[in-house]
Amino acid sequence: MPRLKSKRRQQLEQAVLLPVDWLEERSGLVGAVKYFLFRKVPHDTNWFHTLGSATLTAFLVQVITGVILAFYYKPSPNEAYASIQNITNELTLGWLVRGMHRWGASVFIILLFLHMGRVFLFGAYKYPRELNWLIGVILLTLAMAEGFTGYLLPWDQTAYWATVVGININATAPIAGPFIADFLRGGSEIGENTLSIFYSLHMLVIPGGLFALIGLHLYLVIRLGVTSPPWSKDPAGAEREEVVTARRGLVEPRPRGNGDVRGLR
Amino acid sequence: MSNEEQRAQFQRYKEDVSRRGKPFHPWAMFHDTVMSVVVVGVIVGLACLWYFTSGEEAGDSGILGPRYTEEADPGTTSFIPRPDWYFFFLFYLLRIFKWPESVVLGTVGIPTIALILLIMVPFFDRRRERRLVRRPVAVVAALLVIASLGILTYRGATAEESLASENVELVDEWVEVQGLSEEGREGGTFFAELGCMNCHTYLDAGSANLGAPDLSEIGAGGQGADYFQQYVADPSQFGNTVMPQYANQGEEVLSALATFLEESKGEGGGEGGG
Repeated sequence: MPRLKSKRRQQLEQAVLLPVDWLEERSGLVGAVKYFLFRKVPHDTNWFHTLGSATLTAFLVQVITGVILAFYYKPSPNEAYASIQNITNELTLGWLVRGMHRWGASVFIILLFLHMGRVFLFGAYKYPRELNWLIGVILLTLAMAEGFTGYLLPWDQTAYWATVVGININATAPIAGPFIADFLRGGSEIGENTLSIFYSLHMLVIPGGLFALIGLHLYLVIRLGVTSPPWSKDPAGAEREEVVTARRGLVEPRPRGNGDVRGLR
Repeated sequence: MSNEEQRAQFQRYKEDVSRRGKPFHPWAMFHDTVMSVVVVGVIVGLACLWYFTSGEEAGDSGILGPRYTEEADPGTTSFIPRPDWYFFFLFYLLRIFKWPESVVLGTVGIPTIALILLIMVPFFDRRRERRLVRRPVAVVAALLVIASLGILTYRGATAEESLASENVELVDEWVEVQGLSEEGREGGTFFAELGCMNCHTYLDAGSANLGAPDLSEIGAGGQGADYFQQYVADPSQFGNTVMPQYANQGEEVLSALATFLEESKGEGGGEGGG
């Protein structure tokens, strides 16, 4: 019996490992995921460091609920308002999807600011992480642009008049302003074209930029690591070579091998 | 600090982390997962609070506002524009500046400068020091930014908007003070009803928004009613891209409005002005 069990187990393991090995051999992706999961982070990493992944979670909520809303939303002035009413009041759990998208946007923005504040107070933007700060600021502005373009889509009075003012504000920019305003409106008046343009910006152009930059942001976080809290008594990378050497001599066993006695000093 | 030192320090960091750090999974993964569950929970909670305290009717508001307001209607101009709350600070910033001279500072100037400063943070602050007590400038700057964003957001959220129904009550007073004609009175009523006072102030009533000027003495400049009529119909022709077009209100309304503006010469009764 035990032999049979172990054989079955072996077969099972093989069945699982075969596709994994197949994938690894041809892509190296398994190794990459393993590296991502089991890479070391500073020992004093704490709850403050979860704000970035929390922001990512809020973004993913926006992506998923946004895709579902796009199934049922109709981006034309004649149908938009009715389709929003239909989603909110008629569709099964439509209210939840729309509510999560609507309020998820606020949560996303709040978390972005909190995450940025954390990075600032930790001094985590310093060498060699300057580029990631810059990407983060661009992500913040793109998120605000998502907020602005998404606000028009319900096509109610609040949406319409806030967008009238918003576009007019864009128009005050020197030289380029009037062109930007005309482009956003898709003409001289807010109407059919405006709604299509905002819809396209909101669910194709800006999310594309967000996805790309979030990918780059995460790549740099993994490559460069996260910083210890500034109040840490023993932060990663602090200058304490002598302390470490001294401690090694006391705590760690003497290195084995060819009579190296440095550890004892 | 020289590049060599920076590199050496980062090298030390990497070695330190690989020697004494903890594996991301399950150590940090646990914290991240708990936090993500909390985030999704909060979002679902907000959605429920929003939905279950509001009704199907347009504008039927609950704790977190209505599901939607009336359908968009370019014809009404009395609707008070309000952005989502995270734009309140920008929205309020515009009230500080006046059209047309300096409004561009509020709409484009200050936000652009703030954004550039934000991007440049790691290039200004190149010291290695990260402890807060040793970074007084950074801490004070952060507190000032938080305070000003907070105040602007709060002021934007609580800014009083003028109500058309209340403004109409003031028309009689305007007739008296400005000595308006019958057509001027009619124009004043349109002025109160059409939402002009969401941005313009008039004889200490209305709310100053988007840098729009006070119009109590607008007629004292002597431009004439025709000028005002053309201006109100399409302000962009005059380089004003902030104010909406009112051409769709029709000749009659525009003409009355223009007369009203022309007759508005302030409490001095039209002596000079500028």
